[in-house]
Amino acid sequence: MISLAGRDILHAWGKFVFTGIGLGLLIGVTLTMAGVYRGMVDDAQVLLDNSAADLWIVQKDTLGPYAEPSNLPDDTWRAVANMPGVANAANVTYLTMQVVHDGGDTRALVTGIANTGPGSAGWPLRLLAGRQVSKNHYEAVADIASGFKLGDRVHIRRNSYLIVGLTQRMVSSSGDPMIFIPLLDAQQAQFLKSNDALAQNRRRIQRNPVFNNPRNPEVLPAVLELQESNTQVNAVLVQLKAQAEPAQVAEDIRRWLRLQVYDREQMEGILVGKLIATSARQILMFLVILAVVSAAIVAFIIYTLTMGKIREIAVLKLIGTHNKTIVAMIIQQALALGVIGFIVGKIAATVWAPFFPKYVLLTTQDTISGLIAVLSMCVLASFVAIYAALRVNPADAVGG
Amino acid sequence: MSDFFKQKKLLAVFATIALLATAFIWVVLSSGPLAKIKIVVTEVQERQLEPALFGIGTVEARHTYRIASNTLGRVVNLNVDVGARVDAGEILGMIDVVDLDEKINAQAALVESNKARLSEAQARLDYTGKQAARYRKLLPSRSVSEEIDAAKQHEWTLARNQARSANSELLRAQAELLALHALRNDSYLRAPVSGLIIARHIDPGATVLAGQTLFELIDPEQLWIDVRFDQAGSKHLAQQQPAQIILRSQELQPHTGHVARLEWLADAVTEERRAKVLFTQQPQPAPSIGELAEVTVQLPLLASTPVINNAAIMRQNSQLGVWLIDQQQPVFQPITLGRSDLKGNVQVLSGLSAGQQVVLYSSKALTANSRVQQVEQLVDTP
Amino acid sequence: MQAYGIKISGLSKSFGSGDTAVHALKQVNMQVAPGEVVGLIGPSGSGKSTLLKCLGAIIEPSAGQMYLGEQLIYDNAWKISDLRALRRDKIGFVFQAPYLIPFLTTLDNVALLPMLAGVSNKEARQRALELLTVLQVEHRAQALPSRLSGGEQQRIAIARGLINRPPVILADEPTAALDSVRALTVIRMLNEIARDYQTAVIVVTHDDKIIPTFRRLYHIRDGITYEEQGQARDIS
Repeated sequence: MISLAGRDILHAWGKFVFTGIGLGLLIGVTLTMAGVYRGMVDDAQVLLDNSAADLWIVQKDTLGPYAEPSNLPDDTWRAVANMPGVANAANVTYLTMQVVHDGGDTRALVTGIANTGPGSAGWPLRLLAGRQVSKNHYEAVADIASGFKLGDRVHIRRNSYLIVGLTQRMVSSSGDPMIFIPLLDAQQAQFLKSNDALAQNRRRIQRNPVFNNPRNPEVLPAVLELQESNTQVNAVLVQLKAQAEPAQVAEDIRRWLRLQVYDREQMEGILVGKLIATSARQILMFLVILAVVSAAIVAFIIYTLTMGKIREIAVLKLIGTHNKTIVAMIIQQALALGVIGFIVGKIAATVWAPFFPKYVLLTTQDTISGLIAVLSMCVLASFVAIYAALRVNPADAVGG
Repeated sequence: MSDFFKQKKLLAVFATIALLATAFIWVVLSSGPLAKIKIVVTEVQERQLEPALFGIGTVEARHTYRIASNTLGRVVNLNVDVGARVDAGEILGMIDVVDLDEKINAQAALVESNKARLSEAQARLDYTGKQAARYRKLLPSRSVSEEIDAAKQHEWTLARNQARSANSELLRAQAELLALHALRNDSYLRAPVSGLIIARHIDPGATVLAGQTLFELIDPEQLWIDVRFDQAGSKHLAQQQPAQIILRSQELQPHTGHVARLEWLADAVTEERRAKVLFTQQPQPAPSIGELAEVTVQLPLLASTPVINNAAIMRQNSQLGVWLIDQQQPVFQPITLGRSDLKGNVQVLSGLSAGQQVVLYSSKALTANSRVQQVEQLVDTP
Repeated sequence: MQAYGIKISGLSKSFGSGDTAVHALKQVNMQVAPGEVVGLIGPSGSGKSTLLKCLGAIIEPSAGQMYLGEQLIYDNAWKISDLRALRRDKIGFVFQAPYLIPFLTTLDNVALLPMLAGVSNKEARQRALELLTVLQVEHRAQALPSRLSGGEQQRIAIARGLINRPPVILADEPTAALDSVRALTVIRMLNEIARDYQTAVIVVTHDDKIIPTFRRLYHIRDGITYEEQGQARDIS
């Protein structure tokens, strides 16, 4: 038996391929939309992965440091490091700000990392080029998404930093590139007001006779120093010893240090469940609609393709073709269209994904479920066409 | 003719399928889990590190002289202002203690009255002395009673004590007079050393309290930098170590210097060690006090060890290590690290030997099952 | 030796029921011997098409009997179970328009029927090619129907009707779209086939060019058939 579907496809190859490509672009858009959603969730998770932490310690009763501002004294880590089960604890600060460089500024998540060396919590996990920060001042490792290059100088508040290393996929939960600078600089940057504000503040304090007492000229500088220094960090990242039980350590810290502690799952819950929940659901909703529209278009295309052959189907029936042969022909064509569409869609999505400003994550799982969805959509859609084809009266071929 | 068309059509079909298949295979191999992870490898080198310590400091004067008033008074005039160079002993200004002259006059009168009181006491001493001697001479002849002799002796003793007391009073009054004169002299503010006025806290006409600073004076030839170093690694910091100083105002022009003093008191809040670094030759023009400076202190050369770039250091299962490449397959090798220099090189104390290939950069996180592909570089580096 | 290729008697067909019923066929009797070509003529609305569909086992008659060779197809309300296989194996159709499958080559259009019946591709094509040779269109075997002339297409359609050696061929206006020379060629071909393959051929037509060629004709008017001896002009 020859393949009727195959012959028909070959006969109208150009039309078939162009239909497939059109369908493929639509599938590509749907896959990309799924990728945008995945990318969004992945951005949140990659932030947690990059922290290389087992526990996050933040200000009590806050959802910090990513979802809510959190401030801790910068000596908290010492108490934490003494808790049983803790391998090491490191201060970290996060501040989303404009980073100024030659010819513009870039929004970035400036991360202050404690001087604990590569591989510790908070440090960039791996680099694409350059090296990790090795001075404790004025060096920075930037994500490649920021557009900075090795050797560039960027300005964060008052100081300029030399880019010594580049990372990849180190982004905040909203997709801003991360820039890692030494903690001391970051603390300063976080609290540093503009010079104008500082000068005005000084003038205000100087006018206050309590602080500017001529009998005690040491008070004024001390007050100003206190006003202008920052001894706060946003969180303490904890790495646990290999055999430590995270829940137990977290409970101890919560109980004895009266701090808020989150483990990886809770952090993920906060980031994915709270921080990006609305926008992710927004995208998800759009994805659902896009999928439905795609399905409707697939169904329509297959129905149209079948209806275009209704006369031939009548003849086939008249000359005694089995229904199953006709059904097979329609389904095979639908599947072939689906496969071409899927391949084109996958290629298209992969090709254009890197051009998106935010990360688009095309997972294998999505690809496979996409393939299954496309094929089942094709089969479902062909049911309509099959119903129409089977209802064709062979007598229609005879006419009159 | 139909054959020709058929062939052409088949050609188109195969071309399309081949194109799609190639593109699809490329997509699968380049982006999915089957994609090879691009890595850059580097060789472990055996060499001596030149460690250095980097710190931030501010320019400070080695000595700051705060010139203060000793008494409550009104500033009559000030001869110098900020920026003036003064010599040692130069009068900088005058403070008027309002009633000082009157006090001196009163004191002088007191001295005079004490002098009169002293001569009176002296006269009484002479008289009582003579009386006592005469009665003592008459006693053996029994012309006076013993009782009278004793009374005369007693009067003499009293007169002696009175004279001594009057003398002391006079001395005290004279000393107080001198003190008041000294005070009047001290209302002239004098420069203790030659130097530069860097601050003037008060203007003429104002009243100052005893102990209140009027001028700050420094020696501009004696500037140094108060540097804060990270405590980690500061163990090897020592006096006389050479240092490179970059002043913020002269970023392109490094100066040399050396560690002049290590402070015993560390900054417990910022966890930093403090040290003073002196210029070898003081920069001209002199930097402003309080200017930010970056100081790099060269520490002694270290013994030769295997050395890697700190970008290669990864953490796996709470262990630091590096990824080795063994027959195109990554293998995690735990290592212990030694000291590092400012260029990002780290000593490897154990776990690696020179000549081994370690993964420096990777485009994705490596696992022991990753397929890898070596490339020259992952991003264009200038 | 079969007595007749197809025989129907007392066949009637009504659409609808009650007062609105349309009696398309009232009383049809017809028999065609193997090797015989008969014409079926009648004006529009005479029931011609309905009869053809009944003969072709496309629709079922309301009453009456039909035999294909020895096989009883209909007996009033009874019918054989697999009309589709019957159509495929026992009846060859030749239509007014050829209705070739546009995406199959000429050869495959013809070979499709034996293939559907389970004959191997190779053998089916072999048989089809033989038949095309007989019909003198073997040189167009690999062409697609759209590249054939009308006459060639009709010949292919005839070949498709013949490929399974059906005992009965139903031709519905096979010459309507052809000029008289080609029309006569087609009729001659049908006659040759009827003779060579001992097939009963029924040609539905109102084409004056070919009506004179039949030895026997059936007229149908208002659902009733009338038999008539034709002129049987020799066309060979």
